[in-house]
Amino acid sequence: MIPTEHYVALSAVLFAIGGVGFLIRRNVLVALMSIEVMLNAVNIALVAFNRAATANHTGQMFSFFLIAAEAAEVAVGLAIVLSLFRVKRTVRTDEADLLKN
Amino acid sequence: MSADPGLMATLFPEDDFSLIAVVLGMPLLGAAVNGIWGKRLGKEAVRLMALTAVGVSFLAAVVTFLDLGRAVAASEHVEDGKRVLEHVRLSWTAWEWMHTNGGRSASGIPIALKFSVDALSSVMMLVITGIGFLIHLYASSYMEKDNGYARFFCYLNLFIFAMLTLVLADNLPVLFIGWEGVGLCSYLLIGFWYEKMPNATAGKKAFIANRIGDFGLICAMFLLAHYTGALDWKGIETGASSLIDTPADGRIHLWPIGGGTYQGIFQFLQPKSAFTVSAATAVSLMLLLGCTGKSAQIPLYVWLPDAMAGPTPVSALIHAATMVTAGIYLICRLSFVFVLSPFAMTVTAVIGASTALMAATIALVQNDIKKVLAYSTVSQLGFMFLGVGVGAFTAGFFHVFTHAFFKACLFLGAGSVIHAMHVRIHDDDKSQDIRNMGGLRRYMPYTYWTFAASTAAIIGLPLLSGFFSKDEILFRAYTNAETHPMAARLKQMHNEPFLPPTWLGPTLYWMGVAAATLTAFYMCRVFFMTFHGRFRGWEIGRPSLLAKIKSEHHHDEEHGDDEEHHHDEEDLKVPGYAPHESPWQMTVPLIVLATGAVFAGVFNMGPFGVTPLDHWLEPVFESALKGSIAPRAGAEHLEWPLMGGGFFAFAIGSFLAYRMYVMDKGKAEESLQGMLKRIVPAVPGVLVLVVGGVLIRSFGISGSGFAYFGDVLVVAGGSMAYFYREIGLDSLYAMTILDGTDALADTSASFDQWVVDGVLAKLTAFLVSVLGTILRAMHNGVVHVYALAMVVGVAGMGWFFVAPHADVLVVAKGGDVTITSGSGAGYLDYTYSWDQCEPDKKQWTDLFSKATSAQQRQQQQDTLTVSHMSCEAPGDKWNAVGKPDFSSQNEVTLHLDPDADDAVEVTRPVRMRSRNTFSHTFGDWTATKVIQAPRQAKLKMLEVGQN
Repeated sequence: MIPTEHYVALSAVLFAIGGVGFLIRRNVLVALMSIEVMLNAVNIALVAFNRAATANHTGQMFSFFLIAAEAAEVAVGLAIVLSLFRVKRTVRTDEADLLKN
Repeated sequence: MSADPGLMATLFPEDDFSLIAVVLGMPLLGAAVNGIWGKRLGKEAVRLMALTAVGVSFLAAVVTFLDLGRAVAASEHVEDGKRVLEHVRLSWTAWEWMHTNGGRSASGIPIALKFSVDALSSVMMLVITGIGFLIHLYASSYMEKDNGYARFFCYLNLFIFAMLTLVLADNLPVLFIGWEGVGLCSYLLIGFWYEKMPNATAGKKAFIANRIGDFGLICAMFLLAHYTGALDWKGIETGASSLIDTPADGRIHLWPIGGGTYQGIFQFLQPKSAFTVSAATAVSLMLLLGCTGKSAQIPLYVWLPDAMAGPTPVSALIHAATMVTAGIYLICRLSFVFVLSPFAMTVTAVIGASTALMAATIALVQNDIKKVLAYSTVSQLGFMFLGVGVGAFTAGFFHVFTHAFFKACLFLGAGSVIHAMHVRIHDDDKSQDIRNMGGLRRYMPYTYWTFAASTAAIIGLPLLSGFFSKDEILFRAYTNAETHPMAARLKQMHNEPFLPPTWLGPTLYWMGVAAATLTAFYMCRVFFMTFHGRFRGWEIGRPSLLAKIKSEHHHDEEHGDDEEHHHDEEDLKVPGYAPHESPWQMTVPLIVLATGAVFAGVFNMGPFGVTPLDHWLEPVFESALKGSIAPRAGAEHLEWPLMGGGFFAFAIGSFLAYRMYVMDKGKAEESLQGMLKRIVPAVPGVLVLVVGGVLIRSFGISGSGFAYFGDVLVVAGGSMAYFYREIGLDSLYAMTILDGTDALADTSASFDQWVVDGVLAKLTAFLVSVLGTILRAMHNGVVHVYALAMVVGVAGMGWFFVAPHADVLVVAKGGDVTITSGSGAGYLDYTYSWDQCEPDKKQWTDLFSKATSAQQRQQQQDTLTVSHMSCEAPGDKWNAVGKPDFSSQNEVTLHLDPDADDAVEVTRPVRMRSRNTFSHTFGDWTATKVIQAPRQAKLKMLEVGQN
């Protein structure tokens, strides 16, 4: 059986990739994808830790909720991206500074 | 109704007499309907509502009165061989309102929205609703053409409601609601034609003058609540004795204020003995201040003459017949408080007599018919004050009663005359000027005869109402003697009570006679100048003046609402319309009121021994009069002789007026007026000087320990008299109070402009904008920057939770000092290690021995002490306390001697190191803290090496 540490390490790596990707990439779609990666890293950690708790499935249930939340978030996020594109003709975040100052 | 007492008693038991709700509620309903829907209802409906409201209220009042009469009659019983009546109250509680803390009783003071009718308030109730109805009827025609018809009747109904609340209230707070209510309605109605500036100003003046009085009433309320522990009539009556019967420290210290002492540079203000008054005097004087405001007495009478700016029915209802008598009513209602303070009674009487005389002198020189009547009202109210001030409460109240009839009739008659004059002239001032009238007898017979009847009543034509009421007051003023009801008790406490000097009674009597003479003269003057001789009004519409009048006419058109006849230009040509009699809605009330003015005297014909009113009011004033007011010896023989004074006052005054204005056709008018105008202003000044000085002198002699106070006031009165003679009371107020207020307002305004707006507001705004600029720069709209800030924040927070902390709580109790760890209770596997710093005193002594001078030694000592506190002095070392090396022990207790001379014993550096689970993971990660335990007050510098 693969030890839990491996899952956790994978989760940490994925989370770091997502985080860094979100911080440095300027494309809104990529930023959204980075967020998805981070959320899925959390999902992996939840499911992995749940293996230690044999009596219940809280971690797994939680990850289902997270998946639902992700779906909603992506739906809203893509809608925002579309609106942004209509207004600014761009999907680059550094050009979309409507809230500046 | 009283025919079936069984039914009445069942429907309206004495302690739940809900008929009062009808009396009170109908005018309120009328006010609400007319106020909210009046404009849409139209004039017919407004009139119907207003008249019905007051009419039904009057009928309910009559039923109430009859039932009260039945209850009073049933209470009659024989006591000591005399037939006495009980003080019966029919009461109705709308709801329990609130309880206040305080008072002498521990249970607090209940304040309920409770109303009651007794002998006193029932008469007031009848007068208010009865005369109120007649005036409503009159006004329904008088105000016919006014645009604010509904508004007018809304106010008028509201006034009736407020006045009824005032007289029917069972406690002071509810009375105060009515008191303020009538003040409000008075303000609204004086300024009814608010588009005219003088009217609006007059309204404000009345309101402000009344506020000063209300301040007194509120203070009196607080004092009563404090001393008697009650605010309802029965409770105050029960507890009234505690207003006097208090220990010395229960007296109220007027000087030094509040009973302190003046020291230092203010020592000269310290009197030899404190100037104190009894609570009874303080309460009574405060009440008196309230009453002078509402009843237009010196010094607050100034608003009433200006109040004539309102419509004439208002002058009749509010400023003559009802509201202004509220002060007298309050004094009568709380008579048992006033008699406890003969000083306040004397002040009341003197104020009354002075006002009566002074207002009568001013009335001599007025040419505006309403102004004459206004000053006459002030003067008559003075008579009432004189009456209640000498303890003749029934006489004073009887004058309220008769005055309501004849003064309402006079005002309504004047309104009728003004109404007629508007045919000739459209100008308010000119149409009210008696110099433009004359000979109106021919044109308006009803007005003439009713005015004649009420004039005869007010000047005291024998056997008319005014004659009986005024003579009763004068007779009582001469003969009543006051004694202090608790004189014996006060003597026991070495406190000589003030009693009015014996010569005061006759003085007041002659002042009253003088005022009555003047009254007869100026009332006859008005009467003759208005109704006799030839009509001078023809001249004011002459063609030669046409152009001038035309311009004024157009000017007036937009706001002249007070007239029935709208002028076209041809109306102003000679001869034009003649003045004519008013419609029946106006003459019927005049006739009813004139009948009252003639016959109301039968209720209390003192000289003939027929005194039903006296008998009726006996239970109300019984507790007040018992043991405090009694006629002087031989008074009964003086009744007829003293009546001579009143009769001659009438005879001389009216004869002089007849001679001047009828026989000589007013030829001497000019010279007389010229002479009077020089003399009259000096009269009140001299009055203030004499009366104020004498009163204060006699008060000083009576042992207040402040005798020179009298001299001060004589001088103050003198200068006041001088100023009055020069500029008049109105201007005096303007120069002192108004200008003072203006100056204060200007100062406050510039403070607001420069300091508040200039510095505080602008500085704050500047700081905020600077901060905003900085923060705005961070807000660059790029989502990555926000995300980065979030990451940094989360990382910082994570670090905070991960790093071990060493926070402690030090509790010192005696010599035991307990140090408890503040962090990691149960989480993250915190472990602790405790050490304390031990000094090596030997090394320190060696160090000191090398010092070459005392100064150097001292320096060394200081340095050592400071470095020892962080355990860095030479030779210091940490020794473990409790369990060694990181155990879960999170608390140590040290024993220190707080009284020790040696600072090392008093304070001790303690080190605490802590680790948590992350220390295990990431190596030996420790948080360290050095505590100086404890910081005692007796901390001294180290004194080692001195032995």
